[in-house]
Amino acid sequence: MKVLWEGLFKKNPVLVLAMGLVPAVAITTTALNGLVLGISIAAVLIAASMITFVLEPHLPTTARIPMRVLVIIALVLALYGLILHTNPGLVAGLGVFFPFMAADAFRLQHPEDERTFRQVILEAVGQGLGFIWALLLIGIIREFLGFGAIFGKEILTGVLRPFSLANRVPGGMIIVGLLLALARQLTKQGGEIHD
Amino acid sequence: MTDGLDILVETLITGNLVLIQGLGLYALTRYTKSVKLAAVSGLNTVAGMLVGAAILWLLGDIVPTSPTSELGFYVIVGYVGAVVAPYLTRQEVSREYHVVDTALIGLLLLLSNKGVMGVDNFWVALGASAGYFLVLLTVATIRERLELAPIPNALRGAPIILITAGLLGIALLGFRL
Repeated sequence: MKVLWEGLFKKNPVLVLAMGLVPAVAITTTALNGLVLGISIAAVLIAASMITFVLEPHLPTTARIPMRVLVIIALVLALYGLILHTNPGLVAGLGVFFPFMAADAFRLQHPEDERTFRQVILEAVGQGLGFIWALLLIGIIREFLGFGAIFGKEILTGVLRPFSLANRVPGGMIIVGLLLALARQLTKQGGEIHD
Repeated sequence: MTDGLDILVETLITGNLVLIQGLGLYALTRYTKSVKLAAVSGLNTVAGMLVGAAILWLLGDIVPTSPTSELGFYVIVGYVGAVVAPYLTRQEVSREYHVVDTALIGLLLLLSNKGVMGVDNFWVALGASAGYFLVLLTVATIRERLELAPIPNALRGAPIILITAGLLGIALLGFRL
């Protein structure tokens, strides 16, 4: 269970490991986008971990990385097709950044062979849940600041003018940068990136 | 000014791949620890983007029309470009991660999104990769100076890089007004 909790907090992929920065900065401008993207990345990560764990022992070492890349691309495309079929408007909102989850899912997979299936799945679930809550938090903050709303429900009507920079990429970089600093302070991980 | 130069200037400054589009942030936080590392990473990306643009130019007529197949096509072209790049530049940043260079894939996806065709692929790739290269070098230079600055420990590393890049991005946004 330790690996599950590590993925959620101590080694959170977004706020501690600084993964998924492109989706977090460029696309997570609303809480809904953050939630959808977080769930999508979690789904790809868990499925990819299961498939690669089963396939890798049967492949030569040189073929393992290309296989992992192909598995993740296939999963992302399947998910993209599914969302496009069920809610085309959502795909328009996520736009060209949707496939970037493939890169993040790939980077979070470890090639070690010694771990058990349970450990691999628990780690993927922990990291997936870590993605979900971190991207949701970023989305809520940016939607609140940028639109004065959360999940489309207006909160700041007539009270404060929305801070439109929060919806732009540079504003997103500053907000995510400050959240990373806060996470580092709370987890006492120091300031360096943990590759 | 020709269309090609218009595209070049737009992709280099007002539509900068990193600071305005928000792509390539993985490289921005990892490969800017020194100016040399940033230059090597930037060169790989320039080479990869040009290879990707050349493939798109050559295969432009056979790009699939269905959204999912089109997306898959662009992602695969992106990976091919990223894999070929280190062999062209003879410089390798990371054995494992060069194949997932987000900026390169992002460029190819943006090409598809904007409907860029033919030789304009090259102008977009050239401007975008030059903009990416310049940002990486600039941030690496700033980062070397920040190492000596009295920054709170929690802000060191990725947080201060993102905040610095955000401020640079705000400056570039000024050109869009």
